[in-house]
Amino acid sequence: MKNKIFSFKVKKMSRSLSQNDRFMINLFKYGTSILLFLLSGSLLILMQGQNPLVAAQAIFKGAFGSKMAFGNTLRWTAPCIMTGAAAIVAFKAGVNNLGIAGQVTIGGFAAGIIGAFLNLPPVLHVLLIILVAGLFGIVWSIVPAVLRLFFNINEFITTLMLNYIADFLTQYLVQQILAGGLDSWGYVNMNATPTINESAVLPTLIPGTSATLAVPIAFFIAFAIAYLYKYTIQGYELKQVDENLKFAKAGGVRVVQRFIVIFLLSGLIAGMCGGIEVIGTYKKFNCNFAANMGWDGISIARIAELNPVGLVFVSFIWAALKAGAMQMERVIEVNRLTVQIVQYLFVLFVSIDYEGIYMRAKDRRMKKQYQKEHQKEAEERA
Amino acid sequence: MLKDILALVFTTTTFAATFRLACPILYGAMGGCFNNTSGCVNIAYEAVMLYSCFFSVVGSYLTGNPWIGMLFGILIGLVIASIFGLMAFVFNANTMITGIALNSSAWAVTTLMMVIIFGVRGSVYDERIVSFKPIHFKFLEKIPILNDVLNDNVILVYIAFSLVAVAYVVMYHTPFGLRIRGVGQNAQAAYTAGVDVTKYRWISLLLMGAFTAISGTSLTLSGISMFSENMTAGKGFLCMCSITIGKGNPLKILFVALLFAFSQALVLVLGTLSIPTQIISMIPYVAVILVLFGNGLKSFKGTADIEG
Repeated sequence: MKNKIFSFKVKKMSRSLSQNDRFMINLFKYGTSILLFLLSGSLLILMQGQNPLVAAQAIFKGAFGSKMAFGNTLRWTAPCIMTGAAAIVAFKAGVNNLGIAGQVTIGGFAAGIIGAFLNLPPVLHVLLIILVAGLFGIVWSIVPAVLRLFFNINEFITTLMLNYIADFLTQYLVQQILAGGLDSWGYVNMNATPTINESAVLPTLIPGTSATLAVPIAFFIAFAIAYLYKYTIQGYELKQVDENLKFAKAGGVRVVQRFIVIFLLSGLIAGMCGGIEVIGTYKKFNCNFAANMGWDGISIARIAELNPVGLVFVSFIWAALKAGAMQMERVIEVNRLTVQIVQYLFVLFVSIDYEGIYMRAKDRRMKKQYQKEHQKEAEERA
Repeated sequence: MLKDILALVFTTTTFAATFRLACPILYGAMGGCFNNTSGCVNIAYEAVMLYSCFFSVVGSYLTGNPWIGMLFGILIGLVIASIFGLMAFVFNANTMITGIALNSSAWAVTTLMMVIIFGVRGSVYDERIVSFKPIHFKFLEKIPILNDVLNDNVILVYIAFSLVAVAYVVMYHTPFGLRIRGVGQNAQAAYTAGVDVTKYRWISLLLMGAFTAISGTSLTLSGISMFSENMTAGKGFLCMCSITIGKGNPLKILFVALLFAFSQALVLVLGTLSIPTQIISMIPYVAVILVLFGNGLKSFKGTADIEG
């Protein structure tokens, strides 16, 4: 009873579980979630008067059916991994960075400007863009970090508000400064920066598809984070900041420094993601191109349980669904928003505390077994 | 230029707009302050508000009665709050991620429903959607400034402001408020004292659902009678911010909400000048950070530190 009432305030403690239990819980968790996911998806498609099997086929074809489709899936995997990585860095250390979308927007804007207005040799240009985009992401995450550290203001509101500010700021710069204000009819005549130079374009990975070098970069970032948290002292200290702040302080971890590092690293990855998206896929900065990316990243990170290796797989599936959704809408009359709804339903299903349910069920089973044995013994004695 | 701006900022038009725009923030904040005080981290305001916006329009469209529209909104608000409660209290899910999932899917679900029910994308406008009618007070006509500011608003606005007093009394002068505060401060102690913790958490959550839903209704059915994609655009988060800054005290929340409403009124008023709209649209969001900053100056110790 006590556990049930208070557990959502108390942080989840890592209980000592056997390997077998761990495996069963994961099986239970992902099995149930995927089952519920398929069920709700089929229901939504049936409600629109279509056959779920046909829709699933269309999604699969749109995601893996051809070289181009597979390239599309890979193309969406890259930003999913990068925003997810930014979320993992922050959430694993207990920082609620909800401002990933804003950092992506600002990074993308910087990339669009440098790509269009600077002339540099090819490789250098791309490298410079990625670097500067990351720096802009950092700039956008310094404000909440300072407010949190010096004024004890919770970062989740400030980062949230900075998303909107980033949106309006880039819109202002693009529409008013670069496009020269309104035309004579009072309409905005441009919603994007000029197309970037040839030298700034990120090369494609598989010719003839939309998969660019962004994919290996994203994989590298995921790998680097996995390495950081698993094998380095810095990563261990970062994790401690979340798990037990007092212990970390007493143990001599320079908490404030670590906290800043987390913020800036998260901003850096998000900014780089924006820059890479712009020079890789769109070739120019579109306003609002990062609309859902931040929330997607956080959701993916949570589904993967803040595990960088899991992140890669979840991102791949998430991206496949995204790429397949377009195909599904083209082939049969099912709105592609259906897929988005089902994706977020999956997030809900996965975030259920299966470990608690499993442990309770196990306790009950053991109690029953014990009672039965006890009874048997009593009967034998009698 | 600056003179023009100042002349526009302190006119009765601005204050009237402030009075009107404070209404949606106040409803969400008055319902949510109980939820916040009971110690539940809830960011699903945006979701509840958007769903209720849509269903209020649907209710009004079907029946031609704004009150039925509001009822539809409240019902869907209760449903969303129940889903949140189910995830948070029964299944022990992370409340933050539950809120994010609800918020992000709200846009997709309402847009999809809009396509299915009305057959359009973008925004719904129909003559059959009926709004609340403005109320005209005779006795206010003789008072010069107050007449411009307070008169001729829909009934929801007046209810919103009286709700602040009700919420204050309930929060600080009734056993119910005491128990809610007790549960928030120390759930274990409240449990030991014989308070049904789960029950009070559910009640406060449902209050949040119902009242945030009314603020969604007041967005769509207070004159404009239309629904557009993602029309809340951060207003739910403004509710949440005003609760956080006001620390759950309804009177403080009223003050903060008026401040945010004033910054939103500036967006409307300054739009007539030749200042770029994007810069003006930023004002409410910058205002949130500035208010938080002003509030945080008290805890400034000169050094960086984190309190767990």
